[in-house]
Parts: sequence; C-alpha cells; structure tokens
Amino acid sequence: MEFANFPYLSAILLSCVVGLLVILCIPAERKMLIKWVSLVFSGIAMVLSIYLFITYDKTQGGLQFVERVLWVKSMGIYYFNAADGFNLPMLMLTGIVLFTGVLTMWELETRVKEFFAFTFLLVAGVFGVFMSMDLFFIFVWYDVSLFPMYPLIAIWGSTRKEYGAMKLTLYLLAGSALILPGILYLFVNSGLNTFDVVALMQPGVFTPFQQKFAFILLYLGFGILAGVWPFHTWSPVGHVAAPTAVSMIHAGVLMKLGAFGVLRVAIFLCPEGWQYWAQLMAVLATCGIVYGAFVGLAQTDLKYVIGYSSVSHMGIVGLGLATVTVDGLNGAVFQMFAHGVMTALLFSSVGYIYDKTHTKMIPELGGMSKIMPKASGYFILAALAGIGVPCLASFWAELLVFISAFKTYPVRGALAICALVVGALFMLRVVQRTFYGEKNEQFEHLPDVPFGLGIPRMILVAVIVFFGLFPSVMLDVIQVASVPFINGLP
Amino acid sequence: MMNVWTLFIPELYCLLMAVVFFGLAMSARPNPRRDYFAALFMAGVGVVVALACVRLEGTLFFEAYRVDLFSQVFKVMLAMGFFLVVCLCTELNGIEERHHPEFYLFLTTCTLAMMMLVSSVELLTIYVALELSSYSLYILVPLRRGHGVDVEAGIKYLMVGACASAVMLFGLSYVFGVTHTTYLVEIIHVLPGVIGTPAAIVGLLLVLCGFFFKLAVFPFHFWAPDVYQGAANQVTAYIATASKVAAVAIIMRVVALSGGSSKYLVDMLVTLSIASMTLGNLVAIVQKDMKRLLAYSSISHAGYVLIGILSMSATGYASAIFYALAYLVMNLCCFLVVVKVSHDGSDLKIAQLAGLHRRAPLLAMALMLAVFGLAGIPPTIGFTGKFLVFAAAMEKGYVALVIIAMINATISLYYYILVVKAAYLMEPDEELPRLPVSIPTKVLTVALVTAMVVFGVAPSYLLEVARAAARMLM
Repeated sequence: MEFANFPYLSAILLSCVVGLLVILCIPAERKMLIKWVSLVFSGIAMVLSIYLFITYDKTQGGLQFVERVLWVKSMGIYYFNAADGFNLPMLMLTGIVLFTGVLTMWELETRVKEFFAFTFLLVAGVFGVFMSMDLFFIFVWYDVSLFPMYPLIAIWGSTRKEYGAMKLTLYLLAGSALILPGILYLFVNSGLNTFDVVALMQPGVFTPFQQKFAFILLYLGFGILAGVWPFHTWSPVGHVAAPTAVSMIHAGVLMKLGAFGVLRVAIFLCPEGWQYWAQLMAVLATCGIVYGAFVGLAQTDLKYVIGYSSVSHMGIVGLGLATVTVDGLNGAVFQMFAHGVMTALLFSSVGYIYDKTHTKMIPELGGMSKIMPKASGYFILAALAGIGVPCLASFWAELLVFISAFKTYPVRGALAICALVVGALFMLRVVQRTFYGEKNEQFEHLPDVPFGLGIPRMILVAVIVFFGLFPSVMLDVIQVASVPFINGLP
Repeated sequence: MMNVWTLFIPELYCLLMAVVFFGLAMSARPNPRRDYFAALFMAGVGVVVALACVRLEGTLFFEAYRVDLFSQVFKVMLAMGFFLVVCLCTELNGIEERHHPEFYLFLTTCTLAMMMLVSSVELLTIYVALELSSYSLYILVPLRRGHGVDVEAGIKYLMVGACASAVMLFGLSYVFGVTHTTYLVEIIHVLPGVIGTPAAIVGLLLVLCGFFFKLAVFPFHFWAPDVYQGAANQVTAYIATASKVAAVAIIMRVVALSGGSSKYLVDMLVTLSIASMTLGNLVAIVQKDMKRLLAYSSISHAGYVLIGILSMSATGYASAIFYALAYLVMNLCCFLVVVKVSHDGSDLKIAQLAGLHRRAPLLAMALMLAVFGLAGIPPTIGFTGKFLVFAAAMEKGYVALVIIAMINATISLYYYILVVKAAYLMEPDEELPRLPVSIPTKVLTVALVTAMVVFGVAPSYLLEVARAAARMLM
C-alpha cells in the first residue's frame, strides 16, 4: 500500500460519493437544501482538482499523488490513483464543469433530488476514469459514468428525449462491449496477472500483433464515446435531448472520457498498435472535422449546431492523437480541456435562452443581443473560442494540432484547416441569425441572465480567457507527461 | 457414528422442516400468519445451519454423497435463496390459503432435493435428487389460484421435464456402459481417456440435457416463459433463483468429468451458450409481461454462465459460482419488486410499473440497480460476475465468444432500460396510491441493494471462497 501524505485524489472521488449519499438521505421536498449540498460538494471537488493542478511538481514529473491499494489479490486488481500531466487538466475540467453545471441548474424544480443524485454518480465515474491507473477500475468507472445518462436525459430532457437517451446509452455501451474484451485480452496476454497500467505499459510486455489487435478494439470502443466519425451519430441527438447541465457535463467532460480512454489505455498500452493504426485514426478524424463542419452548416436548431461543432472539435483531438508527436499530444490534451470549457459555456448560454424563450430554433429567435445582451455575449464569446480566435484557449490547442498534423499528414491537415474555415462560417452564421438582425417581438419582455445564474458562465469565460492569455500554464503541465512518453516510444 | 450424521445436518434440518409443514398441512383451519412465521423462522435458522456447516468435509452413503466446500457453498446459497423467497411470502395471495402449508412443504422438499443434488457424486443419486426437486416443482407450479394458465404451465413443465429426464437416463446408460461405474470419482479417471469416443461424448451430452432443462438453456428453454408466467410469483422467484443455482452446480460437476480435453464438448457448449444468450435476449425485447421478460433474461443468463463452465478451468468454475450467486441476489431483488408491486398476486405487466418512482422510491431504485446488474453494468455484482466469466473465457483464448457475449449484453441493455423507463419515466393512466412498504421489506430491500453494490465493488472475499470451492471439482 502506498499513499501520498494526503489522498487528494480519493478525496475528490469521495466528495462525489459522499455528496451522492447525503443527497439520497435528504427528503425530496427540501429542494433548496439539496441544491446547497450539491453546490458544497461540487465546490470541494473543484477546489481540490484545481489545487492538484497547481501543486503538481513539474520539475519532478511522472506520477504524483499516488494511492495504491491491492484490491483483489487473485486477479492483480489495484485501487490505483495517480495524477500526471495528461489527467490533471481533465480533472480540473471536470471539477469546473461540475460546479458550474450545478449552479446552472439552480432553477430546476422537477425531481431535484434524483437529478443531483444521478449527476453526482455520473461525475464520480468521470473523475474515477481520469484518475485511475488500473484497467479494471478504469472500466468500472467508465460504465458508472455512462448509465446515469439514460435517466438524466430521458427524465429532464427535451426534443425526442427518450429516443436520444436510448440511442446514446446503447451506442456508448456498445463501445464498452469492445473495450472489455480489449482489456481482458491485454490482461490475459501480458502474463503478469495484473491490471496495473504502469506495469502493463512496460516495453516488451505485448507482441506487435497483440498491440495491433487490442488497439483497434480499444480505439473503436473508446472512440464511440469520443464521437469519432462514423460512430458520432448518438452525440448530436443526445446533446440536443439532454437538459442544460447534462449537456454541459456530457459534451464538456464525457466525450473527453472517450478521447482520454484512447490515450490512457489504447495508446499507453499499445504504442506499436498506435503507430500502426495512426493513418486510419487521422482519416477518421479528418472525416469528423469536415463532416461536422458541413452538417453543422445546415442545422436550424441551436443545440444541433453545437452538437455538430463538438463532433468537429473532437475530430481535432483525434487528429492530434493521430500525429504521434509531442505537439500533437499537447494540442490534443489542451483541446480536450479548451473544448470542454467552451462547449459547457455554449450549452449553458443556449440553456438559458431555451428556458426563457422555450425555443432553440434559429429562425424563431433573432436579435437576441438586444433582449439578452449578457446571454448573447456568453454565447458569442464561446463561439469565437470555438472558431479559434487568438487570446482564447482553443486557439493554442488548435494551432498545435494543425501544425503537427500539417507536418505529418499534409493533405489531411490541409483539409482539416479548410474545414475549420467552414466551421467558422457556420458559427458566425448562427451568431448573426440568432443574436443580430430583426428581434422577435414576442421575447422582448424576457429578463437577461441574473447575477446568480451569471456566476457559472463568468467562471467559464474567465477560464477560457485565462488559458488563452497564458497557455504555458497548461502546456507546461501536459509537456511533463507527453515529452517522456513520445521519447520512450519504441 | 455421530460424526457421519453431522455432515448431513443441513439436509436433515430441511427434512425436519418438511415434517413440520406436513403436520401444519394436517390442521383443519387455514392460518396463513402462523404458516408464514413458522416458515420464516425455520428458513432463517436454516441459513444459519447451512453457514455453520460450511467447513465440513467427508463422504456418506458408500461414497455416493460428498460433503466438501463446493457442495456446502451451494447449500448456503440454496438456504439463502429459500429464506429470501419465504421473505417474499408476506402476502401470499397467489395461492389459496388452505394450500399455504403445502406450498411451504414442497418448497422445503425441493430445497432438500437440491441440497442433495449438489452433494451427490453418484449417477443414480444425482438422478433421484434431481427428480425429487423436479416433482416438488411440478406440484408447486399449478398450485396457483388461477384461471387455467397455471394448469397449462404445470402440464408443460411436467411434459418437458419428463422428456428431459428420459433423455438424461438414456445418457446415463451410455456413460455407465463406457465407464462401467456410476461413481463420479471413478468416472473422472476413466472418462477423459475415452472422451474421444462417440459413445462417451453422446452420453455426457445427453446427461447434460437433463440439467440444461433445469437451467433453461436453449433448446430446453420452452417451458421457462410459460412456467414463469403461470406459476405464482413466489414460486417463480424460487424457480428463477434457487433452482438455477443448483443446476449450475450440477452442470459444473458433470462437465468437470470430461477433464477439459474434449473439443467436441467445448464446441457444443459454446454453440449452446451463444444460442441461449442470443435467443433469450432477442425474444425478451418484445415481452410485455415482467415475469416473461425475466424468463427470457434467465435463458440468456444461462448462456453467460455456460461461458464460465466451458472454460473448464479453476478460474472458470470459480467465476461460474460467483455468477450464480450474483444472479441469485439480482433476480431475487427483481422478484421482490414484482411481488410487492402486484401484491394481489396477479401477473405484473411492465407498463404497470409506471409511476413506481413516486409510489415507492426505494423499490424503484432497487429495481433499477437489479436490472442494470442483470445487464452487467458496474458497480453491481452482475458486472463483476460477467467480468470474471469473460476473463476466464479469455484466458482460454475464446476472444470471439467474449465479443459475442458483450454484444449480447448490449442488446439486453435495451429491454432492461425499458423496465427502468417504465419505473422512472412513465406515469400511470390514473393516479395510483403510494405503495405501502413495511419496515421489514425496507430492510430486506436495502440489504439486497447493499449486497449487490458492495460485493460488486469489493468481490475479493467471495471470489476467494468461490476459488476454493472450485478447486474441489478439479
């Protein structure tokens, strides 16, 4: 058993689990109390995750805040949590999105207790996947984070919610139907009788053939959740159907879970498989970027627009991973973070507009910037971040990915950059149609975002701007993990 | 010979229970409360007795009967299953009051027979024990107060069961012919040597047919949906849990006889396993009745558990034992909800679960966890069971089988989600009152839920027990 002086990572998990249990014990009628409890526990999780990000020792690098307990002896399963340059940004992202998500749902009135209970269960799973270094626990947490999506979308959602929820759940669990055989295949063939990622990632544990075979299972399995084209179709439908906070968590964090799984499990354990399949990954990622941009162009529903832009942006993450370079990895991880915050902001702005106007159809809106200047401002800023405007976080991420992609795969890189222009076009078109132009008289009396509900959006804006101005804060941390990893490749 | 009889204590205790209920059945006036509390108390003590005897080892009756960790672990599961089913009998409205003592009597004899089944290591003893358990169930199924559905179910069960028995007896004659003995200890030495011969392999398969009938493995599954629906809810709960556990145990004993060297046998089991889970899952999708749905789900679970058995390794058997236990707990949790929601003892349509999240939040949560457990979603015991079973199969290199099984698990998720949807999303047409959930029921529900989650997350102890038990087979 090894423990750092204080188990910060377990404390993050516990803040979710204890939060969940406390919420279950509160009577359903005490809605305000439930919200405050949720806020406190999500606040603890956020503060802890930011604290870890700041205190991580970049000069020392490697795994820190290690917690390792033997869990099941006969199968070599460890309760093994650790933080490195790859998962710290993700943990912080999850903390921020959870906290802002809880604040965003402050006005929720229906079945409050169940909503926050499911949300905490979901987020516990997300945190677990990000911090776990044991394949068994990665898979357990992964599935724990998926199944609450069904009730969350089906109960509190809108627009074909039951269809969207069912499609999403079945797609994602079909993904785990590939992941589990992949994990078991690696477990059995390693001959080490352990699920410990650190032990399994030693060079020479797996033969090239085993790596190629396991990689494709794991890549496709996790890729479904990462919205890899052509397995992305659940994602816009699911985003549209989900309630605001769930869209935020889902597009902001959950899709990253897939990309992170590809990185942590598939790429870490099967580096040769990664190099072998990188061409395919690049093709699929480019398809996703181009496809997402063009389909987004044709949408009339605000949430569908964001949904397809997510597909496009997650394609950028995939392209970064496919380059097999330090810059590509840095860009991919940074993009996961930046896209997470940006999408959360987009969904929270649209959520507010939808709550007030009860429509998210672009033609029915129009001139919103005159009615709700603040809500519009948040959306426009996030949209600009998505396009990759300098001084906002996504700019650096996309820049890194495209530079390295252009070097490695000139044609696909060029195509992706062209698609980005289309992406910019469709985002600007949405901004123009929705927020400028003729204003719709029937919405004129509606209030703008009050201060309380503005707090979560302001936090997200602050994060986007901060990492846009100081990208090195993020890149220095990611660098610590990506440089040794790429240098250590066979 | 005091020592020898201590080995037989769990069975003797069951026999004692049977005698008590036989006495109660003689009494002139029906008294359901008395019967229920007598059953509850004695079944509770039965669990304690079975637990106390878990470490015993030895042989009885001219070596025909072996008491070891394997058999004792299964006896504990059976006693627990029996106890939990009795717990569900607070409102035994599906069965006429004057028949209550008989109901408990035949449940007890069935449990007794199954306890004997898991301990038998001689072909004829196995057959006798199997028939005793089957005949008890043949009586229990049509006991229901009903409109003829129960009789149809009873006849169907009897017919299919009788055929399976006949086939099995025929198989036994082959095995005897090849090995010249009825003792498993001797067969296990002879059979692996001659497993390549057609007579041996056909004999073994035919013997297995009898047990496949119990487990409702394709193509012996036809009785399951009708019997599940036709029998009283509590009887169904018993058939779905305890009876399945016993079948898993005896199938393991028989498969272990082959010594793990027969490719034909493995291929056959792989085929049956895939057919069972695929058929069960696909047909379950269209079911409207909760018990029929659970019946088809049980057919598919028979397929999963076969994966552990056909791995024919210690880890494989251990995973199957773990899976059987997981299945027992999850299924009982489902039936707990079925029994409580349809407290008048009628069949439960899935649509009738509508609004359950308001009528009884605790039951709704338990149901959700149980069906997600059946679908194999963590952090439930059902996931851990599937994980162990698949790991064992993967060790033997059955990659394709594991992938097919996982795809099946995804298919099954669809209809399990429909159940969750009914409980959490749908609203009933007319406003229904809150379901009264008594304190003991709450305790039982919380206990089952806790067991499902805790043993799902921390399976270490149970896994060690299962491994130790599985080593007894090798």
